[in-house]
Amino acid sequence: MDKRKIVIEPVTRVEGHGKVTIKLDNNGKVTDAFMHIVEFRGFEKFIQGHPYWEAPVLVQRLCGICPVSHHLAAAKAIDQLVGIDPENLTPTATNLRKLLHYGQVFQSHALHFFYLASPDLLFGIDAPAEKRNIVAVATENPELAKKGILMRKFGQEIIKALAGKKIHGILAVPGGVHKTFTVDEREYFIDGKQIPNIDTMIEWSKEIIDFIKAYHTQNAEWIDNFAAYPSNHLSLIHKGSGAMELYDGRLKSIDSEGNELLNIDDIEYRYHFKEAVEPWSYLKFPYMTKYGREKGWNRVGPLARLNTCTYINTPLAETERLIFKAYTQNKPNNMTMHTHWARLIEMLHCAETIKELLFDKDILGSDLVRKGSPRNKGIGIIEAPRGTLIHEYHTDDKGLITKCNLIVSTTHNNEAMNRGVREIANSVLSEKPEITEPMLNQIEIAIRAYDPCLSCATHALGEMPLIVQLEDSNGKIIDEKIR
Amino acid sequence: MKKLDNKLIIGIGNNTRKDDGLGWYFLDILKDEGFNTENLLYKYQLMVEDAELVSNYNTVIFVDACKTDLEDGYEIERIYPSEQVAFSTHEVPPNQILNLCETIYHKNPKSYIVKIQGYKWDFEIGLSQEAKSNLTKAVQEFTRNYS
Repeated sequence: MDKRKIVIEPVTRVEGHGKVTIKLDNNGKVTDAFMHIVEFRGFEKFIQGHPYWEAPVLVQRLCGICPVSHHLAAAKAIDQLVGIDPENLTPTATNLRKLLHYGQVFQSHALHFFYLASPDLLFGIDAPAEKRNIVAVATENPELAKKGILMRKFGQEIIKALAGKKIHGILAVPGGVHKTFTVDEREYFIDGKQIPNIDTMIEWSKEIIDFIKAYHTQNAEWIDNFAAYPSNHLSLIHKGSGAMELYDGRLKSIDSEGNELLNIDDIEYRYHFKEAVEPWSYLKFPYMTKYGREKGWNRVGPLARLNTCTYINTPLAETERLIFKAYTQNKPNNMTMHTHWARLIEMLHCAETIKELLFDKDILGSDLVRKGSPRNKGIGIIEAPRGTLIHEYHTDDKGLITKCNLIVSTTHNNEAMNRGVREIANSVLSEKPEITEPMLNQIEIAIRAYDPCLSCATHALGEMPLIVQLEDSNGKIIDEKIR
Repeated sequence: MKKLDNKLIIGIGNNTRKDDGLGWYFLDILKDEGFNTENLLYKYQLMVEDAELVSNYNTVIFVDACKTDLEDGYEIERIYPSEQVAFSTHEVPPNQILNLCETIYHKNPKSYIVKIQGYKWDFEIGLSQEAKSNLTKAVQEFTRNYS
């Protein structure tokens, strides 16, 4: 059979690099589709032999976009190595870490929406490639672009104030934090003299939710049906109430109908999850052991979190959650593009939480670190912007790391992204006389909804074109497109 | 202290990836030579919000490693806002930052790029010998004619 293969490499406007291969038979019908992750990082291996206290500093180098999430997940695990469970941190340490975390999620969601997703939404999937970018957004919607920049900056400034710098800074130390917040640092985010203040962030977050709701009303058919498919949903939830929880909680999974599949203490995760491997990707495929590879995979991230939580504990975001849930009659939402809507509700929740934390007296406290009896194993789980992030470390008696396991958010979403690619490939590419730019862009939109972070590679001037290759069954390139 | 009046120098790179650290080593040398550190900025990559940052300066100089062959191992050239776009927020080109700056903030700082040729990009700290040589030449040219 004269099979053909389309390769999209790298996928555009996702964090890091990826490659999509779509296989066609000689009639142009899609026979299979894969999203490959071709970078290999090896952090789990080369951190072995390092002292445990280096982990929160080293592992955040996994990424230049969400280093805070890795820093804090590792810190939660390392706390346990010095005998401190999350509930035993001092209130000051807990709230400063939370402030750092919510600042990170806020800026990451702002970056994703304004700079990665908004071009697709504003200009449509049929717009030429040169128009689907932030420069075009800035040209046609300068106020939107300006707000996007300032919202991203606000979150980055929170990170800088707490961790010393915007990327790869340090706040957490084993059992706590190494610095407190000063009154001047707090006022910077409240008085609005140098940057728009937290109230403005809340106001702008509400505005952008109004935008997505209006957009949804006008484009419901596309937004509701594009790459939609049933799945399980996994996230942390608040231990007592089941509310949305991004820093510390229980792990809960539900199926596409809302039936509870899992509700466990987070540190029990390894008894309930396995990771499958495929020869064509470095990214593993996690699944719940009890349900098997085919039925046990989960989506994670904003959509999953909106599905698993029972409510949101900040009033404005909760109001928006109720509107979001009403659209699916309180059933789980399996519409992939609604992830953007969910992400913006979370952005509002983050802004509200940041305000609460800024006015919390504990963040100005001086009781920063606790110590307990050393242990040899620590597990830290956190809700990163893109979903559930798991860090596990084992040490020897000298405190040197002997084993490390990381399950990052994008890994959880691996199966979901592959299903999305297959779904779109089948609906837009099968048996079409030619492969158009908008068709290829739809594949990328399905992936971008998950905001995958494929992690930073080295970069240098003159690299990173987008290459689209058409190959025959022998791997021979029969067509190539670079944009 | 050597002043850099209203001038920002941005070193782009990653010093744990061999020659990808050229942009940062460039700044290290300027720092050692007494240039005002407040105007030296180390970055892994340019990000969209840098459009706001550069709008506050009259002159902006971007320094980055380059994989392309350069006749002298380095090149310093004037750059302008351009509609060229990147495919990822991980690599927003300097001229796109300038374009955003002009579009959103109506500012157009005088801008240059210092490209320094690198050769090795492994997970390792430290420059290759060839890159070190190119770095020295680039710094000499910069301090002689552009600082």
